[in-house]
Amino acid sequence: MRVPLSWLRDYVDIQQTPEQLAERLTLLGMEVQGLEQWGADWRSVVVGELLTVEKHPRADRLHLTTVNIGSGEPLHIVCGANNIAPGQRVPVALPGAVLPGDRRIERTEKMGIASEGMLCSGDELHITSDAEGILILPPETTLGVQLSDLYGDVVLDVDVKPNRGDALCLIGLAREVAAATGATVRWPDIAVREGDDPVSAHLRVEVREPELCTRFVGRWISGVKIGPSPDRIQMRLQAAGMRPVSNVVDASNYVMLELGKPTHTFNGAAVRDGTIIVRRATPGESLETLDHVQRELTPDTLIIADPHGPIGIAGVMGGADSEIADDTTDIAIESAIFDPVSIRRTGHRYALRSEASLRFEKGQEFQLARIAADRVAQLTLAWSGGVCARGRIDTAPDEPAAARLAFRPARVRKLSGAEVSAPEQRDLLRRVGVETEENGASVQIQVAVAPQPLRVDAGEEEVLVAVVPTWRRDLAIEADVAEEVARVRGYETTPAHLPDTLMPAYRPSPLAVRNMLRSTLAGAGLSEVVTHALVAPESEPRLRWPSDDDLTGVETPESGSLITVTNPLSSQHSVMRRHLAASLIDVLALNERQGRGDVAIFEVGKGYGRVDGRSREWTRLGILLSGNAQPPSWNRADRQYDLDDAKGIVELLAKRLGLPAPVYRADDRGFPFHPGRALVATSIADHEAVVGRVAELHPDVLEQRDLRSQRVIVAELAIRGLDAGVPARVHVEPIPRFPEVERDLAVVVGEAVDAATVSATISRNAGELLRGLRLFDLYRGAPLAASEKSLAYRLVFGARARTLTEAEVDEAVARVQAGLKSELGANLRS
Amino acid sequence: MDFETLSGDLHRLRDRALEEIATSSDPAALEALQIQYLGKKGDLTAVLRGIGALPPEDRPRVGAVANEVGEAVKAALATRGAELHGQVQARRLASEAVDVTLPGRTVGRGTLHPIPETVEAIAEVFGQFGFVVYEGPEVEDDLTNFQMLNIAPDHPARDLWDTLYVDIPGYLLRTHTSPGQIRVMQSTRPPIRALLPGRCFRYEAVDASHGFEFFQVEGLMVDEGTSMADLKGLLDEFAHALFGPRKTRFRPGYYPFTEPSVAFDVQCVVCGGAGCPACSRTGWMTILGAGMVHPVVLQYGGIDPEKYQGFAFGMGVERIANLRHAVPDLRYYLENDLRFLEQFR
Repeated sequence: MRVPLSWLRDYVDIQQTPEQLAERLTLLGMEVQGLEQWGADWRSVVVGELLTVEKHPRADRLHLTTVNIGSGEPLHIVCGANNIAPGQRVPVALPGAVLPGDRRIERTEKMGIASEGMLCSGDELHITSDAEGILILPPETTLGVQLSDLYGDVVLDVDVKPNRGDALCLIGLAREVAAATGATVRWPDIAVREGDDPVSAHLRVEVREPELCTRFVGRWISGVKIGPSPDRIQMRLQAAGMRPVSNVVDASNYVMLELGKPTHTFNGAAVRDGTIIVRRATPGESLETLDHVQRELTPDTLIIADPHGPIGIAGVMGGADSEIADDTTDIAIESAIFDPVSIRRTGHRYALRSEASLRFEKGQEFQLARIAADRVAQLTLAWSGGVCARGRIDTAPDEPAAARLAFRPARVRKLSGAEVSAPEQRDLLRRVGVETEENGASVQIQVAVAPQPLRVDAGEEEVLVAVVPTWRRDLAIEADVAEEVARVRGYETTPAHLPDTLMPAYRPSPLAVRNMLRSTLAGAGLSEVVTHALVAPESEPRLRWPSDDDLTGVETPESGSLITVTNPLSSQHSVMRRHLAASLIDVLALNERQGRGDVAIFEVGKGYGRVDGRSREWTRLGILLSGNAQPPSWNRADRQYDLDDAKGIVELLAKRLGLPAPVYRADDRGFPFHPGRALVATSIADHEAVVGRVAELHPDVLEQRDLRSQRVIVAELAIRGLDAGVPARVHVEPIPRFPEVERDLAVVVGEAVDAATVSATISRNAGELLRGLRLFDLYRGAPLAASEKSLAYRLVFGARARTLTEAEVDEAVARVQAGLKSELGANLRS
Repeated sequence: MDFETLSGDLHRLRDRALEEIATSSDPAALEALQIQYLGKKGDLTAVLRGIGALPPEDRPRVGAVANEVGEAVKAALATRGAELHGQVQARRLASEAVDVTLPGRTVGRGTLHPIPETVEAIAEVFGQFGFVVYEGPEVEDDLTNFQMLNIAPDHPARDLWDTLYVDIPGYLLRTHTSPGQIRVMQSTRPPIRALLPGRCFRYEAVDASHGFEFFQVEGLMVDEGTSMADLKGLLDEFAHALFGPRKTRFRPGYYPFTEPSVAFDVQCVVCGGAGCPACSRTGWMTILGAGMVHPVVLQYGGIDPEKYQGFAFGMGVERIANLRHAVPDLRYYLENDLRFLEQFR
């Protein structure tokens, strides 16, 4: 809320500088988010006196003026306004002046006659809304002074929290200033000079929904003359961020800013039969609102109607037909209390949130309906003339007494951790208008209210009873009192110490495995990315990343369906992703556009899906490699990433998790994979597992995404423990005390036999003496047949408790050889 | 053959050997000289073959001379060998000289993303004070995200959390990590010290300081006497750990799920408190919101507010990372331009 300091001073004395005041309010919970120098953009605008006003010889609508600005020669200024006359005091923008909107004023020539500046309208200065005439200043205004010295102000931008609707007004903030400084709040004198005929002669009010409109106060004024408000009022409204409209409308807005109570004034002639009905809309009804939009009204909308139809949406916006117009003479003032929830829903339904509805939503002090009706009437009479009918319409004149809230001073101390005695608590509360009473009898303490109410018996504990001012609708439970005490005393006085209570039991961090793998991957040269969980709906269908159905060994979500956002911000981010691959490809695309084709990235991220009508989330590791594995360098040949790099990373991860080397199974499905360069990797042990896909993308994917890269390798791995797990412990094998024996075998097999099958066959046949098996060469060419390849393995044999004999090793190798021959038709090459 | 002749031969042999050794130019030639003079079939042996012709009394004398000659040749060989080895090594080393100012061979150019790294930094600090990490679902139910946190369906404060809803009835994308408070309280008993990092979502247009996806870290501590003083003490430690020694400020805030509520500021990390555009000229930057857990929330968590009380706090990870690393634009984080990411080495 924008608070002009000069206006705030009407209600409370302020000794502090604006900066000091801002800090005090902030520390009290009314955060001042900005201090604006109002008028700072009127540079070189001074007060002048019109000496002469004559017709321009060559243009009917222009005048030639001479202006005395208090010193030097009078200025000759050409002016187009019609409301000027000699003797008036007016704002003069001198050559070099800069007006709001960065408008520069220079010496100019208008129709052949030089103009040494400009006379300003209120609109040009953003002081009033009058763009037609020059702003006429009071005759006693001193000549020559800067306008900013006269009307400049400081405007505080106060962030009033949603629970403090009572402070969304000058009186409310004046109360806070008073609490902070010890000053006293001055209310304006509110008194209405009434005529003789009773209000009932003009206006009847029928509330058909007393639940939604708990009070309606009406007043009637006849014979008003519509025109602009006094300049001073317009300036205040402008500074507070509200555009002046007319004297009657401004009175309503002024009272809303002053007291926090929205009211509405109807053109009395448009209230047919002089009868206002507060009811729900009926099906088929519609209304053109003040913003000239025709709105179909839904039956749960609370409306203001006359016997012939709607004239306003209650608490949100009036109707265009009953708007105050230039020829309006009679007005009906509505000052009502509406149900906050109803107003909020209505505002949302019609996408109409006004300054009024924002205040209604937060709840309103019941008394204010009466007070504001009187205040609007008083100001309307002062600014628009007319006669106010005698008395008010009031559908609920009985005003509730202050609520009483019992609290335990000891509990207030316990929550804040500060030693604040009961008498001190009472003094602090008094500063925000909360009186306290001692309580004789035992009393119930309201610990919590809906939706989980709790009342407890205070027992023997000391209890005080707070008398809650009617405007403080936010004080409902004991903890609210604790906050109020702490707030007024100043949070800065809360002591600070480290907890000295019991520690919780040990719990392993769910981030442990994740962090271990993240640092491993970064160490291996990959950069971590974090991408959006919300993706475009076409993202997954376009990539056609396979479902997890054929993955075994880790918990994989049964192919759940996509979760869709029902109110997305953009179609590019409207579904929850199930896989990471598309997001990683997006990152590659972005970096390629920046001229960066060498990309090695990983993400530990979630997939989301709907399984059996419920949402499920799972954590995956995604990897993407593209471009150079080693950048061109003077001391090393460059090399492109390929599938083996990704497999090497999977093997590293398996090792890091204490798992056996992964087993690879070809996946020749084709799109989105290269049909000959895709696989499923599986590595499983008792408690750990890594399972997932590793593949080079199909060239069609690269083309579809306009990627420059020739080869892009992508992997998505499910890793047990990525959600929450403990890194596996290392179990040390004793260092072999007896020598190991190495044998090399070159196995010649047909191209159709894959390496995983060969090594599995070797392991299976070698027996328990085989300690290690490593492929060290792959050969094709003469003297092998074209359909053959040779795989060279180094086998390491050993036994824990003895030295092997040559014969034992020979026997094992012979078994391997026989197995390879019989199972795979393989020959050994020497 | 007599002693004089033989010893003369030996001395000549010595002189010749020493000269040849001294002038030998490489280890192979030296090796050949060793064989030539000292080998089993070498010159020394050949000379000594004549010893048998000497009278027995001269033989020891010749033996002594032969020893002397042999030792002299051996010593010369060793000396020259060392010299030649030194020369060879010096030549090799000279030939192997490189321009040591050339850059090295690059290793390990991977980097870690600032969001999880900042979460780690936060978890590390609170971990020292016994806070353990929990995680909750991102697709959250409406009740836990709002009502159990004391945010009624038509509460005006709902405007603080513009929500993205999903096509599963009753579910939404969590707007904050605070529903994790409920889940922790429901699953464990006091004493509770929990930290809940995670991704959150809001219906919010993207600009330099807003995004519809962002990360938060929630903290929760509940015990019999946990007070605002404990909160203040911990937050001070946290601010000092992450931002160095600087002033902090504890002031009233507002959240429906805490009462009293707190806003926590640190002295501006840009201007140090003098006032600058980054801190709206206040000299302070708000880094998190906090407060004493509301009795309604405690009850939804299954905890008796008459017996236990506690505090909660929540902070934006991007906000903390921005301040720590001077990141100018929130969009950097999820865009993943490597020119940004690779600065985090």
